[in-house]
Amino acid sequence: MKRSHRTVHRALWPVLAVAVALGFVLALDLRPPPDEPPAAEAQTP
Amino acid sequence: MSVGFRAVQWNRDKLVYDGLLLAAVALYVTVFLVVVPRLEPPKDALGEIDLRIRAFGSATFLMLTAILAIGPLTRLDRRFLPLLYNRRHFGVLTFCVALAHVWFMIDWYLAQDALPSLGTELTTWPDYAKFIGFPFKALGIAALLVLLVMAATSHDFWLGFLTPAVWKALHMGLYVAYGLVVMHVSLGAMQFNRTPFLPLMLVGGFATVGVLHVLAARRERVIDQGTAVGSDGWLLVGAPRSIPDKGARIVAAPGGERIAVFRDGTRIGALTNLCAHQNGPIGEGRIIDGCVTCPWHGFQYRLEDGCAPAPFTEKLSTYRVRLRAGMVEVDPRPLPPGTPAAIDCNA
Repeated sequence: MKRSHRTVHRALWPVLAVAVALGFVLALDLRPPPDEPPAAEAQTP
Repeated sequence: MSVGFRAVQWNRDKLVYDGLLLAAVALYVTVFLVVVPRLEPPKDALGEIDLRIRAFGSATFLMLTAILAIGPLTRLDRRFLPLLYNRRHFGVLTFCVALAHVWFMIDWYLAQDALPSLGTELTTWPDYAKFIGFPFKALGIAALLVLLVMAATSHDFWLGFLTPAVWKALHMGLYVAYGLVVMHVSLGAMQFNRTPFLPLMLVGGFATVGVLHVLAARRERVIDQGTAVGSDGWLLVGAPRSIPDKGARIVAAPGGERIAVFRDGTRIGALTNLCAHQNGPIGEGRIIDGCVTCPWHGFQYRLEDGCAPAPFTEKLSTYRVRLRAGMVEVDPRPLPPGTPAAIDCNA
């Protein structure tokens, strides 16, 4: 890889990793409680 | 190598690689479709389609994780290099598995004669402002489009047409696709399915890719810090014996591109560390049959002048080397590709 490519790569993946990790944690934290019948279950595969 | 457009050049290694890949995917999907129904028996025909959706969807995620792990693994341990050799076929197969996931998803709607509701899901614009409730299928479609572009441009024709630098930049889109897939699952299946398997799979895959990248980046950073520069601008490489025979030491001027300094017995030569094929790390390769051989796909160049042996036409930039006070030094200013520059350290 060229130096410029490595620089972009090193800048890109940690930003993406943090954004996706944050999104995942939020999605896990905000999901509906298990005792609540999920209305979307019957609608979505 | 590039002597005009050619179809995929199959060889035994590629056939074995692809055969193992296909067998692994078939095994995973089969085990999934046999084991999961025993744990959660499907209630009806829709449940059976849903199982196939999950089987191919999880296979896609695991394959993407494996593809992203191959790069750093090869930097950390040469024994993983065979995995990199045919990584593009791995990528194309992953696209096909993702397509199967989409096909069964469409089949799920068709089985209920409810395909228009998929369109409604994707075009309910206020939902795009929500986090929980975001149309997660749109994320999956975006990831599929990225994979489509990468699969469509995976052939060497596109590599030559776009140039290795542009092609590599385009194929960094895999990171974006991976992020989209993680969020597709997080906002989709993980919201409806309470099994701990899904979060564990996402965390496990994501952490594996992240940790491997951090470890590889730490190793690479040492090289990029640059080598000591002499008063006349030449870089100190070390004693001839410090360069492994039939191998190379990689040096770089601060802020400059990497240079691979090879030794073949008493012959020493310096080439750019960028293979002409995919900008692979030439300096991590070996001298095989008298030629410097790229560790990624086996492209070969003469140590003397950086030219590929006939009938191939690739040329690498070379660098001047000299022996001074028993130490090898290299001039970091590149010579035109194909310029003879190797020396004999016994001369």
